[in-house]
Order: sequence, then C-alpha cells, then structure tokens
Amino acid sequence: MEWMSTIAAISPMRAWGIDVPNYFWFTGSSAAAFIISSFAHVFGFKQFKPIAGFSLLLAFVLLVAAPFNLIDDLKQPGRLVNFFLYGWENFGTSPMKWGVLLLMAYPTLILAEALILYRPYFIKRMEEGRGFSRTFYRWLTLGRTSLDAQSLEKDHRLGFTLGAVGIPLALCVHGYTGYILGAVHANTLWHTPLMPVLFLASAMVSGTGLLLVLLPIFQRFFSLSQTIDRSMMATLAKLLAWFIVIDLVVRALWLSFAMPFGMQSRELLYQFFTLHFNMVVYVEYGLCLILPMIVGFSKLRHNLAIVITTGVISAVGVWLFRWNTVIGGQEIPRSMPGFTQYIPEIFGQNSIISVASNWGVFIALLAIVAVIFPWDEEMETHYQGVNNGSK
Amino acid sequence: MPNDPSRRRFLKQGGIAALAGATSAQAFSLKNPGRDAQDPRYIGDTKAHYAMVIDLRQCVGCQACTAACKVENAVPKEQYRTFVSEFEIGFFPHVRKGYVPQLCNHCDNPSCVSVCPTGATFKRKDGIVVVDSEICWGCGYCLSACPYDKRYFNSETKVADKCTFCAHRLQDGLLPSCVETCVGGARIFGDRNDPNSEVSKMLATFPTSVLKPYQGNAPQVFYISLDSRLEAVHKATPMLDDVVQKELGLLDKEWPKLPKGVS
Repeated sequence: MEWMSTIAAISPMRAWGIDVPNYFWFTGSSAAAFIISSFAHVFGFKQFKPIAGFSLLLAFVLLVAAPFNLIDDLKQPGRLVNFFLYGWENFGTSPMKWGVLLLMAYPTLILAEALILYRPYFIKRMEEGRGFSRTFYRWLTLGRTSLDAQSLEKDHRLGFTLGAVGIPLALCVHGYTGYILGAVHANTLWHTPLMPVLFLASAMVSGTGLLLVLLPIFQRFFSLSQTIDRSMMATLAKLLAWFIVIDLVVRALWLSFAMPFGMQSRELLYQFFTLHFNMVVYVEYGLCLILPMIVGFSKLRHNLAIVITTGVISAVGVWLFRWNTVIGGQEIPRSMPGFTQYIPEIFGQNSIISVASNWGVFIALLAIVAVIFPWDEEMETHYQGVNNGSK
Repeated sequence: MPNDPSRRRFLKQGGIAALAGATSAQAFSLKNPGRDAQDPRYIGDTKAHYAMVIDLRQCVGCQACTAACKVENAVPKEQYRTFVSEFEIGFFPHVRKGYVPQLCNHCDNPSCVSVCPTGATFKRKDGIVVVDSEICWGCGYCLSACPYDKRYFNSETKVADKCTFCAHRLQDGLLPSCVETCVGGARIFGDRNDPNSEVSKMLATFPTSVLKPYQGNAPQVFYISLDSRLEAVHKATPMLDDVVQKELGLLDKEWPKLPKGVS
C-alpha cells in the first residue's frame, strides 16, 4: 500500500453553492408539471383534464422563478447581458449557453399555451369588466375575442401543437441542466451521459410531489367548490409511484455501472458514498423514494393526509438528490487531498436566505397568476362535465 | 406632452438607433469584443506556442515561485495562481519528499474554455489561456470544469482568475515571474515552436509527463521525474493545517476541508 501524507497544499475553490441545486429543482419540477398537463392536452388522458390547466400555470411560475437562482449565483450579476451577447462560438460545447434559448423559449411557450387555454374565460371577464380590467383582459386574449366554433377549434389545434412542441422543450429545459453537470469530465460524480436522464426521472418525482402538496391547498381554499378531489390525489400518488420506479431504475443503472466498473471514478465514488451513506441510503432512497412508492402502490394512497405528506417527502427527497449531486460532486478532491465540505452562508448572495427568498418569489408569482388566470372556473367545468359526483 | 412632434421624432430616432445597435454585428459576437478588435493582448504572439517544463529533480519546495507570483500579479490574500504542494511518500525509513509545483496547464484542449458561456475565457494564438475580466460574469462553470483546480474567483475583481504565464511580462520580453525567481532552475519556460528554445530542448532530451493525462486536456506544463504515485493525491492524509484549523474552530470559509478525510 502506498502511503502519502500532505505537508503543504491549498484548499481549491468551489464554484456552486445552494442556489444551483435549488435552480435545478425548480426547472425540473416545472418540466414535470408541464408534462402532467400535457397528459390531458396532448395525449388525451381525460382523468387529468381538471388539473391540466393548474399544472400548466404551475409549470410557468416555477420556470419564471427558477432563473433568479442563477442570477444570484453569479459573481457579476450586472453582466448578465454578456451571456446573451458574447461567446456564441462555444454554443456547441457549453450546455450552460443552451440556457439562453431554452430559458426564453420555454416560458414563452407555456404562457402562449395558457393564454390560449384560458381565452374563453378571459373573454368572459373582459365582457363583464370595465375600465382597466376590460383592457387588461383584452390584452390577454391577444385581440382574438371571438367565441365561435371556428375560433374554438383553432384554440384546440393551437393548444395541441404548443403542448406537443412543449414536451420536448420541457425535456430539454431540464435535460440541459443535467448536461451542465454531465459534461464536466473533471468531476467524477457528474460525468455520466445518464445525468440528464437522472435529472429528468427525479424531476418527474419532485413535480408530482409538489402537485400533491399544492393541488389540495388550492382546491380546498381557493377553488369554487372548495373540495379536494380525493380520487385525483390517489391517481397522482400512483403516478408518483411509477415515476419513482423509473427514477430508481435509472439511479440503479448509474451507480451499478459507475461504482464497480468506473475507471478513476470507482474509488472516489466509494469514498463519497461511504461519507454520505446515511443521508443517501436511509433518507434519500429509503424515506424519500421507497416509502412514497409504497404509499402510491398501496391503499394508503386513498388517505389524504398520508398522500400530502408523501408529496412533501418526495419533493424534499429530490431536492436532497440535487444537493447531494451538485454540492456532493464538488466535495470530491481533484488536485489536493481530502474531501471538502460546504456550509452555506445564512445571509448574502448564494445563501439560505436567498433560496428562501426565491421560494417567496415563487409563492408570490403563483398567487398573482392564480388571481389573473381563471383556473378555478376552468377546473370546475371539467368536474361538472366529466367527473361529476366523484369528488 | 405625448403629441409633441419633437418628442415623437426623438423617440422614433432613438428607437431606430437602439434597434440598430442591438442587431448590429458588433453587439453580438461569436467570441468577445477584444478578440474581434484583434487587440494584441487577446491575440498574443502568433508564431509562438508557449509551454513550461518543471524539472522536479531541481525543485526544493521553497515556494519562491508562489511568493513571486502573488506579488507580480497582485493575487489576493489566501488565493494562489501557482503553489507547490508538498508530500511525504512511503513508510519510514523508506520515505521521500514529493513536490508538485502546480499552475494553470494552459491545456491545448482546455475544458474551461469550451464551457465558457460568455467567451470571457479563451486560448490565445500563442497557447496562453486567459480570462477577460471585463466580460466574465462569474458563473463558475470554468472553475467546475478545470480538472486541475487551477481557477478561482478573485476576491477583489469578482471574476474567474488564473495563471496567465505572466503574459504582460512576455509582451515586454521578460520571463514569467515564477520562472525568473526559481532558485533551483526547476521551471523552464519557452516557445515549443522554436526548436532552439530551452523548453524544446528539454522536451526532446528528457521523458516528461503531465498531470491527469486521462482527462484528455493536453496540458502544456510538463514534468520531469513526476512520481506517478502523486496522482493518487486523494489517498493522502489531509493537511495538518486543516485539522488544526478545524480543532480551533477557525474554519469560516464556505468550502472547508473535512478534517478526517476519507482515506
């Protein structure tokens, strides 16, 4: 056995703090919420119709709130414009650069789809409203104020097209974050082509988990009927369980390959997972994936309190996975001995407060969007038309 | 007054000018404005290809290079562009010292450059990898991408920073300050395109190796007599200084070392 002791070395600087896992969590959950809304809009699964509109708005708000994390993570946020102006020759090799296009195209597309979906309701509010309200809702209809069969058919066609284009875009907008890490060959934990798939699979878990938390809150307190759709909650809990199965399969592929068969990675990954054994095995896998999966596949999914708790746990679990990947990957030594350890600041840039503030922005935006968009009326029409009596 | 004709004309002309500015070729760049303008500091010596050979047989671990670099480049406190790591290798009584002077490798295939989303970091024609501190937005992708940990956020300029082979000195015909100050003559710097340069002769005469060749970065800092066991640096015991700082509760950085390591 070789033995080496360090006499002098420096602690290398690590770039990414708590903002980055939070950003990845937000974009991932947005992609998942969009895909769930597309179940109804594109694939025609009728049972998801009542939540498709709400889910679409959630996807929009998550994605609008997400990039604030990136700006806060910058050392020179005032130079944001340089991201748009320079360095286009690196477009093919810098996944971060893809964000320029994706982070502009994706929210625009979701907004367009939402404006089309809610157009009949905007027209109604426009006709009922006066003054500013009337003008405001006229803007939201984008000037198309007709409700004849032809216009509604056009809405349907446009909604389908945008939803269909949106699915690959949603996959890209989160898949690219996986590329950002996966492309870094210097980092043992990150450098795998599975990283975008890992991120997408876990994103479906966090997005569904978030819906399981927000949907009952909105249905109970802010919808017209003020009733929680328990059968929808059970359906979502089962969907969550299937997403967890996919997530576990991808994670198993990743680790069962990287740890026994990796080249330089093998030894460092063993050290890494030894260091974080309890957190990864008991919390991330046992508590936050296996347990919610059992709930989703068992009769427990009909218990509202358990399902909401499951939603919280699975969403938090994916946040921890993002943390353990982004922060954990940077802990692994590259040029100097010893693992590093990250302690986020409480105040200032890239701190616990900045992440909490981002959640504040998310909640505020969600409230604003929920006030502007008549999601409750739209949701109610589906219950009256399709699902009457099963609430 | 919204209908004031002069105001309308002003807004119209201003709008057209702003649109022209935003869409002109200069506003968007494949590279960055300095490179587009062919500024010599961005292009470098078009005929040279600079490289460094570090002869570890000559290194005594005195850290004169570390000190000279800090002074020459005004590197902030507790940050380093170059540093000599020092190890003890083997078991008593068969123990030897191992020194690894490290600096940016100015790779021919630099991972830091290809991932830069603003074009702030780039490789000059003479092979030197530099950062435009006016363009860098401090995203840290290059710090994450460098397999050698040779980049840091300069605590004063708040942008990515690293060794430049003292490009400002080369411009004046001087050697990099670490090379000039090296007491053992362990650092040899020069132009690989010139067969008569000392660096070319050293590369032709001695077998050399680079750090982490498997990363595929093609580093341009070559080592003579590099002990391959030093590649397993993560197996080494952690630095005593880290352990002591942890014990004394002095670790106030965001990314302190774990005192116990995992070896």
